[in-house]
Amino acid sequence: MNQERIFKVLLGPHMTEKAAFAAEKSNQYVFKVAADATKPEIKKAVESLFETRVAGVQVLNMKGKVKRSVRGEGRRKGYRKAYVTLAQGETLEDFTGNE
Amino acid sequence: MQVSVETTSPIERRVTVQVPANQVDQAVEEKLKQTAKTVKLNGFRPGSVPMSVVRQRFGKDVRNEVVSELIRQHYVSAISEKELNPAGYPSIEPTVDEAGKDLEFVATLEIFPQIELQSIDGAEVERPQADITDADVEEMIETLRKQHADWSEVEREAADGDQVRIDFQGFIDGEAFEGGSAEGHELVLGSNSFIPGFEPQLEGAGAGDEREITVNFPDDYQAEHLAGKEAVFKVKLHAVSEQQLPEINAEFTKNFGVESGDLDELKTEVRANMERELKTAIDNSVKQQVMAALKKANDITVPKSLIAQECQTVKRQAAQQFGLGEDFDVSQLPDELFEDQARDRVSVGLLLAEVVSANELDATDDEIRAYIEEFSGQYQEPQELVEHYMNDEQLKNQVKSAVLEQKAVDHLLAQATVKDVEMSYQDALQAARQQPADEEGEEEVAEQNGETA
Repeated sequence: MNQERIFKVLLGPHMTEKAAFAAEKSNQYVFKVAADATKPEIKKAVESLFETRVAGVQVLNMKGKVKRSVRGEGRRKGYRKAYVTLAQGETLEDFTGNE
Repeated sequence: MQVSVETTSPIERRVTVQVPANQVDQAVEEKLKQTAKTVKLNGFRPGSVPMSVVRQRFGKDVRNEVVSELIRQHYVSAISEKELNPAGYPSIEPTVDEAGKDLEFVATLEIFPQIELQSIDGAEVERPQADITDADVEEMIETLRKQHADWSEVEREAADGDQVRIDFQGFIDGEAFEGGSAEGHELVLGSNSFIPGFEPQLEGAGAGDEREITVNFPDDYQAEHLAGKEAVFKVKLHAVSEQQLPEINAEFTKNFGVESGDLDELKTEVRANMERELKTAIDNSVKQQVMAALKKANDITVPKSLIAQECQTVKRQAAQQFGLGEDFDVSQLPDELFEDQARDRVSVGLLLAEVVSANELDATDDEIRAYIEEFSGQYQEPQELVEHYMNDEQLKNQVKSAVLEQKAVDHLLAQATVKDVEMSYQDALQAARQQPADEEGEEEVAEQNGETA
């Protein structure tokens, strides 16, 4: 995987109540990632960008909400989300909600 | 809280204050909890933002806020603990500001100087004494007539004291120069409002005459490029007007608020006004001398911050004096011009305050009322004015300080040797004006400064 791809994989941190608990309890950090990102890519990207060791990655696709209007049904854009578990003892200090 | 005070100069103090770490951290934590309850973040329900997120997001800002708040509080309590009397605002510098460590800050401030009043025993104060003679009153009425004079056009040659309407154009070495021409300008001969030598050369000219006038600009003329040069003015005279003094009659007196039109009544009125003016002038003159003596006897160091503050006031007054308008930026004016004056005013103010407190002078309501009544005499509705002043706390306090000042001066005056000097009315006014003014005479000083500036 080349350097260029690394910067394209991670789209930003995803900071919600659930993500905050995940970070606190299981040392998992949540990112929005590119729709075509794979687990190994995400692992490498996090390891090289944050200089940490990653224990595992779980991914899921968030579907956009279905919205209805007079013009009929429409779907909002969805996104791909990754839960990145860091190796024991590693933390992301400045993991704030700024994308 | 630990406080240590260093004396760096007679009036400057360095106060070092330490605040224990746990006290600071506790305050920060408290504040964070507050924030957690109220803050709104995307992805979180209001009030459900976990502390860890709040700390990460807002920790620094909250700490800064809390620290500056704590510094303010502790500065105040440190000052009162050490019984310091600060003049002006301190400059505060945090030296240690880290989580888990004692907060430490250094405040540098100036205190009001401890004044040990030296009496002004033996100082000589000259008090002008003058009687207002009938001649003085006559002269005053004459001045009033001149102020209300009319000009009426006459068919004759211009003489000293006449007003002429002229067009003129000035040439230096045959070339017209900027600001050297005007049309329809009204000039009173003998008023010395033009370059010396210009006005006399117009005497004897009649309406419609054209003249060439050669004058030399004085060497110290304001416009440098003109100073010392010889200029030729082509002047066309349009009209000559003669001054017409109003008749002293009922109409004239009515102009000055004497309804009955009785000349004697006007005279009494004028005399009363003159007496009031004279009294103020004498009082001022005496006061200034007392202040000068007081300042001479007591050499005090004045806090710089107070001078700086006063400087601003003086500047603003000066700006007003020159009609620069409300929104004129006074910081354009150089400080140096006003510093001495500001220092004088501050030190006199401090000394007078000390005189007042040292002698436990106080002003009762009756005294205040009497003072207001005195100056209300020159207004239309004296009684109303008195009530207005007595009912307005702020105005009343202003008057009170004036009364106190007066008392302080009287007190000091008792120590000094007063020498009465007999002089005429005009001379007395003149003498009172010439002394450099302080406090009450602010405007005059501003004027003088302006001229040298």
